[in-house]
Amino acid sequence: MVTGIWSLKLLSYSLMITKEDVIKIAELAKLDISGQEELFASLFSQTIDYIQILEELNTKTTPETYQVTGLTNVFQQGEENRAPLTKEEVLQNAKEVTKGLIATKGVFDRD
Amino acid sequence: MTKKLNELTIIEALKGLKAKEFTSVDLTRACFDQIEKYDGVINAYVTLVKENALNDAEKADLLINSHGPEIFDEKPLLGIPYACKDNYSTKGIETTASSNILKDYFPPFESTVTQKLKDAGAILLGKTNLDAFAHGASTENSDFYTTKNPWDPTKVPGGSSGGSGAAVISDMCVFAMGSDTGGSIRCPASWCGVTGLKPTYGRVSRYGLAAMASSTDCPGPMTKTVEDAAYVLQVIAGKDVHDATSAPERVPDYKKSITEFDIKKLKVGRPHSYFDIGMQPGVAEKVNAAVETFKKLGATIVDIDLIDPKYAIAVYTIIQRSEVSSNLARLDGIRYGHTRDAFGFEAKKRIMLGTYALSAGYYDQYYAKAQKVRTLLIEDFNKAFDKVDLIIGPTMPNVAVPIGSVNSSPIFGELTDMMQLPGSMSGLPVIAIPCGQSDNLPVGVQLIGQKFNESVVFGAAAAFQQATTYHVVKPNLEELL
Repeated sequence: MVTGIWSLKLLSYSLMITKEDVIKIAELAKLDISGQEELFASLFSQTIDYIQILEELNTKTTPETYQVTGLTNVFQQGEENRAPLTKEEVLQNAKEVTKGLIATKGVFDRD
Repeated sequence: MTKKLNELTIIEALKGLKAKEFTSVDLTRACFDQIEKYDGVINAYVTLVKENALNDAEKADLLINSHGPEIFDEKPLLGIPYACKDNYSTKGIETTASSNILKDYFPPFESTVTQKLKDAGAILLGKTNLDAFAHGASTENSDFYTTKNPWDPTKVPGGSSGGSGAAVISDMCVFAMGSDTGGSIRCPASWCGVTGLKPTYGRVSRYGLAAMASSTDCPGPMTKTVEDAAYVLQVIAGKDVHDATSAPERVPDYKKSITEFDIKKLKVGRPHSYFDIGMQPGVAEKVNAAVETFKKLGATIVDIDLIDPKYAIAVYTIIQRSEVSSNLARLDGIRYGHTRDAFGFEAKKRIMLGTYALSAGYYDQYYAKAQKVRTLLIEDFNKAFDKVDLIIGPTMPNVAVPIGSVNSSPIFGELTDMMQLPGSMSGLPVIAIPCGQSDNLPVGVQLIGQKFNESVVFGAAAAFQQATTYHVVKPNLEELL
């Protein structure tokens, strides 16, 4: 049985996210979404539409909260947290290791 | 009727181990017997470590034999078998977060929580299923398989800690670890009918927990009783040098907070906005009855106003997606894990929305706005806690939904977890406990406490369990076979 929250209205698509937007975001996030661009665009539009309800609340003089328990500038005391891993442990899951280092694709002249 | 060993609570199992009525090997074997019998249907676990577990249990028995009961002062969970959600890093034991991208990943380090449990003598049985990277409220987003609800295998167990919830209610462990960012302990606790605690943010170290939304992630126990949850929190709570956001606040004696609790002095807030959300009638009936129980026990019920939780859905959606996009950027397929093609649909969706919300031109409109409304939610709770000690509400507005319901909305998890989100965004401690059944499925009630005041949460929830029997009702697993 579907009641209550399920009837929360998702507003009609007032803010359209286009297929081009989605392709750009996927590129930024280094994700392959080929064939699903339209689907992502539609899901994004629905989600973005829902979160517009925050505009109903006045936050002109309200500060942001990034850390809920109020900690700021936490520094390490002494040397209690030094290198917990050995070099072998760091490398053990690397895709490619060359001369004891993690190998990656070149940054320049990359295809 | 005497309980089977795997059905024992932590407190009961410790009593038996101390009195040498049975051994840790007996207890561990009983859990594996149960797993071998039922997990083929339930699918709560993704990895089992039987050989390790039996070795550890043997060592625990040797310690008990050589040191006597005093050893439990030093190792308060010695010989107790538990299940761990597969998003905790366990050194040398496959840790996948139920995702294909981390399949075959064997971490070189141990999470602080599992290390503390190990130091306390607990025995790891295996790792449990979750929505991949804890993205979801059903385990249907697991890249491997969906865990079945032991009360009805056509229903989801809730999520994302659905494997842990299912393992506890079906006695395939003595207790389990879950993690809660926006309801991931409380939702499956409610839908499986177990006790689940989301501690205050920072009360328990996040080191080694696969990061989802770092400003909100909370490791916590899923247990058969409130007393057990308090017992586990005592072991895992505290400041950790590996997690700068872990809290330096003193960890109180939670056992005392239960034994010395006086419910007659308790003021419980009943927010209109939490009860007027259109709960299923059967859920409303049980949750209202739970409020009445608190009243009968001597607590004062105070009607209060809180911001409509629908705003918390939007805050959570923005902040969670944003932090996910940042946290999952580390999965580059170079240092560990497979390449980013291996991400499932849900992870891609969340990473992309977060990338969008954080991108230039949209940051203020979405992320900063959400963090401001988060402040409003916190101030709103603070105002309420001037008048009351605890806030009560339904854990979920409905009972467990059928497998396959997830596709009904792109923010399915957020809509179902609506009641959890204000507490999550404000970093407050919340316990979810069973309060009856509707349509033969468990219903849960949640108690929200003030920051770092788990003591009152435990005290009130334990008083409720002492007066009721909802937490001892178990599904008939024979029907699953």
